[in-house]
Amino acid sequence: MIEVRGLRVVLPPDTVALYGVDLVIEPGERVVIIGRSGAGKTTFLRSINRLVEPTSGTVRVAGHAVTGTDPATLRQVRRQIGMIFQQFNLIRRTSVLTNVLTGRLAYVPVVPSLVGRFPARDRAFALECLSQVGLADFAERRADTLSGGEQQRVAIARALAQSPSVILADEPTASLDPALTGSIMGILKRINEERGLTLVVSQHQLGTALEFGTRIVGFRAGRICFDGPPGKVTPAVAAEIYGEEA
Amino acid sequence: MTRWQAAGLVGLAALAWTAWDTGADPIRLLRGTPWMLDFIRRSVPPDLRVLRPALEGAVKTLEIALLGTAAAAAVALPLGFLSARNVTPPAVFYPARAALNFLRSIDTLVYALLFVAAVGLGPFPGVLAVVAYTTTSLAKLYSETIEGIDPGPVAAITATGATRLQVLRFGVLPQVLPLFLSYILYRLESNIRAATVLGFVGAGGIGFYLQTYLRMIDYPAASTVLLVTIAMVMVVDFASSRLRARLV
Repeated sequence: MIEVRGLRVVLPPDTVALYGVDLVIEPGERVVIIGRSGAGKTTFLRSINRLVEPTSGTVRVAGHAVTGTDPATLRQVRRQIGMIFQQFNLIRRTSVLTNVLTGRLAYVPVVPSLVGRFPARDRAFALECLSQVGLADFAERRADTLSGGEQQRVAIARALAQSPSVILADEPTASLDPALTGSIMGILKRINEERGLTLVVSQHQLGTALEFGTRIVGFRAGRICFDGPPGKVTPAVAAEIYGEEA
Repeated sequence: MTRWQAAGLVGLAALAWTAWDTGADPIRLLRGTPWMLDFIRRSVPPDLRVLRPALEGAVKTLEIALLGTAAAAAVALPLGFLSARNVTPPAVFYPARAALNFLRSIDTLVYALLFVAAVGLGPFPGVLAVVAYTTTSLAKLYSETIEGIDPGPVAAITATGATRLQVLRFGVLPQVLPLFLSYILYRLESNIRAATVLGFVGAGGIGFYLQTYLRMIDYPAASTVLLVTIAMVMVVDFASSRLRARLV
């Protein structure tokens, strides 16, 4: 489903974030990426939909090239890749429903969308996505009146509205109360199990990562230093991923 | 002597020279005081017979400022986006920013002189002058606001596969719109003040009456015009600042 070959990313001016990473992720996998902050987790996830421009190497998602493709094709690939962010990244002064509808932007006619008009079918689908995260009654609320946990659920609904085949989640629980971590990760897990959506989540809490993932990928200083099932993450492996002090 | 002291001395010397060169002289100001008092004495009581033309001029000035600001607010919108570093490629951004800085160095009154020469006397060149100056100043404020936005929603909308215009509409516009409206109101306030003198160069509004009565040495009439001007500016400032307080 995701095929990354020789991915090297140099962030301006000259910070090497990733040194030639290779990773193949099969459809339906639930991959958790772990590593210290600065190890390259965010850069890796953002390279998959080219929010970060890879310096060299190739990325393919669902059989389509992401790297080296023209803007129109890139948008076609992007709409299949839902993304969830640490800071939720909702449009604050806008309704919850409009936020979810932005997940439909690559499907609906452009000009009506610019004046805020979406086809009835897409509105109905957005409401359905909202009820899947348990927020059906919140559609007309302003996004910035919701709690952090609720905002992240709206962000998940926005990703679901893309009818994605892949969801990338960059530290989705890092800005939330620890008590909410289970609920957000639970929703993501359910989506993966019920729909067979491929899920790639970065997580800095090792316990949560091992509980949630079917496959763990450890990053250290811009390279993959572990790739295997949660059961293989021994204290020695954890020490290698997180450095000696872990 | 430290470097700061040296810089201070040089600065003082430069200011002293400017005082000499401009003939800035407190004694001369004091000697002029009786004339100013005389001016005020001859201005009261205001001649209310000219209240009607003064009010008509005030309305014309308001119209010039309103129409000019509204048109500029719209024209500045694409320019603001084009000269914002974070949403526009460098090949477009640098020329746009340079053009704005160039045009912005000219004041409304100078534009009025140019437009009077181009389209003739009356309020229309006044409107054009307000549009010309306000467009560049608003475009600059817009672009700085756009450069200061939270990149998070922009990334999120981009990730959905949205086009560049959709990203601007949903990722950028909701973040900047309240600030834009506030800037427009602020420009409207300053434009009303700027438009009061446009009549001096033949570009319409209340300034025409002020200049005419001053030339005729009809001080009671001129003072009526001045009082109407002050009242108009105060009312607009009050209303506009109330509105702005609710926006941000």
